[in-house]
Amino acid sequence: MNLAMRDVRRHLARFIGTAAGLGLLLTVVIAMQGIYAGMVDDATILTRAMRANLWLVQRDTRGPFAEGSRLDPSIEARAAAVPGVRRARPYTYQLIQREHRGAVMRIALVGLGWPDDPGSSLPLVRGRYLLQPHGEVIVDASLGLGIGESLVLAGEPYRIVGHTKNALTSGGDSVAFMSVADAQLIALDQPAEALLLERQRVVERLRRTDLGRGQPALEDLATDPRWRAPTLASPPLAAILVDTDPHRVAEVQSQLRSWGDVSVYTQAEEEALLLGGVVQRARMQIGLFTVILTLTAAVIVMMVMYNLTLEKTHDLAVLKLMGAPRTRLAGMVLQQAWLLGALGYALAHLAGQVAFPMFPRRVLITSTIAVLAPLATFVIVTLASMLGLHHVLRIDPARALEG
Amino acid sequence: MTETEAVRAVSLRKTYGSGSAAIVALDDVTLTLARGTVAALLGPSGSGKSTLIKALGFVSPADSGEVFFEGRPVVKDGTALADLSRLRRKHLGFVFQKANLTSFLTARENVEIACEFGGKAMGRQRARELLQYLDVAHRENSYPETLSGGEQQRVAIARALANEPSLILADEPTAALDSVRSRNVMELFRKVAHERGAAVLVVTHDHRALDIFDVLHEMEDGRIRPSSHVVAHGQQPRQPL
Repeated sequence: MNLAMRDVRRHLARFIGTAAGLGLLLTVVIAMQGIYAGMVDDATILTRAMRANLWLVQRDTRGPFAEGSRLDPSIEARAAAVPGVRRARPYTYQLIQREHRGAVMRIALVGLGWPDDPGSSLPLVRGRYLLQPHGEVIVDASLGLGIGESLVLAGEPYRIVGHTKNALTSGGDSVAFMSVADAQLIALDQPAEALLLERQRVVERLRRTDLGRGQPALEDLATDPRWRAPTLASPPLAAILVDTDPHRVAEVQSQLRSWGDVSVYTQAEEEALLLGGVVQRARMQIGLFTVILTLTAAVIVMMVMYNLTLEKTHDLAVLKLMGAPRTRLAGMVLQQAWLLGALGYALAHLAGQVAFPMFPRRVLITSTIAVLAPLATFVIVTLASMLGLHHVLRIDPARALEG
Repeated sequence: MTETEAVRAVSLRKTYGSGSAAIVALDDVTLTLARGTVAALLGPSGSGKSTLIKALGFVSPADSGEVFFEGRPVVKDGTALADLSRLRRKHLGFVFQKANLTSFLTARENVEIACEFGGKAMGRQRARELLQYLDVAHRENSYPETLSGGEQQRVAIARALANEPSLILADEPTAALDSVRSRNVMELFRKVAHERGAAVLVVTHDHRALDIFDVLHEMEDGRIRPSSHVVAHGQQPRQPL
């Protein structure tokens, strides 16, 4: 006869209530761990999505995420010419805050080097990559904007052509990807008309020169969207993303480090900069909070288990007097603790499925959390039952004779 | 050891506290309980009855003296010479002042668990038979709190019988019952002793039912009074359990 189950059956409502309480507590613990994991993942997703071997940023800076970085656009061509470099891509990054349909919307704008980089490395869940150099944007689904909708930035409409999932900054802001030219346009808030007029002026000037008349193809170059009008300020880039031949990363990195105007980071180093700087304090805060919550949960479970055992003291004394083996009674306490843990964890899992998507910050249940959380619950309830077990083993069967 | 001896206590002595505050609960108590007899243990409060029950039930051994169970020494000078828990499980049955049924088990399960502890096969069937024997089978699925005092005591007796004990110790089992139910319970003990061959020792203050007992023992100040005697009506023939 399973005494643990008989006791649970008799006090089912109270047991389920206790399990629900434990479940909610575990939900909070798992949520904190998920937020912690989400923060780390968010911090690195921007760098990982770019799939670059090396990041060139302004010399002696930890850019472009940990601090600002301004690079002369000419470095893109210089980097592309280095032996072992397969491709160099411009990259811009800026945070903007706009109102959209009456709500405040914070967006991290990432400029991609279209057409070399139309966003094909991004984890799209719907839609397509950028096919146009202007007026198209890929946004994270968390912004709540549908494919085909338009987002007006700096007076220009940008059609949403693709959705990413979980492309967020370490601060939890959604990321939007567009061409570098568009991103810079928004950054400088220059009307497109100004750019078009300036390009037209350059074409007119070209036509007045022998060079222009002799090489009409130069006009195409002047009207290329990637080309920047020389009379307007040439906006700097935040970084240059460098893709190298396989096995030549170290060689290229060494070469680029010899340049006086850039700092070079590998993908891993860029991630380390983010984790070590931008999110380090938040990580520690959430980490400590998680530890405290876990300990609190353990203490509460311990007291619950102890009280459940305490209430049964007389029953247990009678069973002991009848000669119940100690292992049988200890097993009863342990089985109840495990059942409480299993039920609590199941409820926490269900509550998480419902509640976590509603959290403003991403709650990422990694495979590590998915494995460790039930294991930790098992360990917590087992340890928590020790006080109850100690009590059971110390119960004097003579107490049963005391009426 | 006589052929019918269930338990024998020799020169038991137990003291609570120490120095000037010491209280002698058992003072050179020697007692034999034979199978097939129902014995009463009388005496005022504080005379040592419960202490003697605990010592005979291998729950709280005396400081000195010996206890033999079916002729084998089991406790000597406070030291266990056998697995007392196993002994209780296999050979002893307890009935208390309150029924002390396990609150989260039904009437049948309270008996069944005792069968299980005692290593008896067909526990459920045996539990039902015992409840039927004690006329409470119709309440087998009821929890203790829904049973009347008399029903609870009958279930408690059924539980005490579950492991076919050689010795049943009952500590004021009728204290919470009215006179009619009290007598019924006492007669039940007599029936159990005579029909099933167990030795039954009942601590009681109820002098109205003394005619039921085969032997009367009276305690005073931790001693068995010499006036303890065998009642005239003698024993009934034993039946196998």
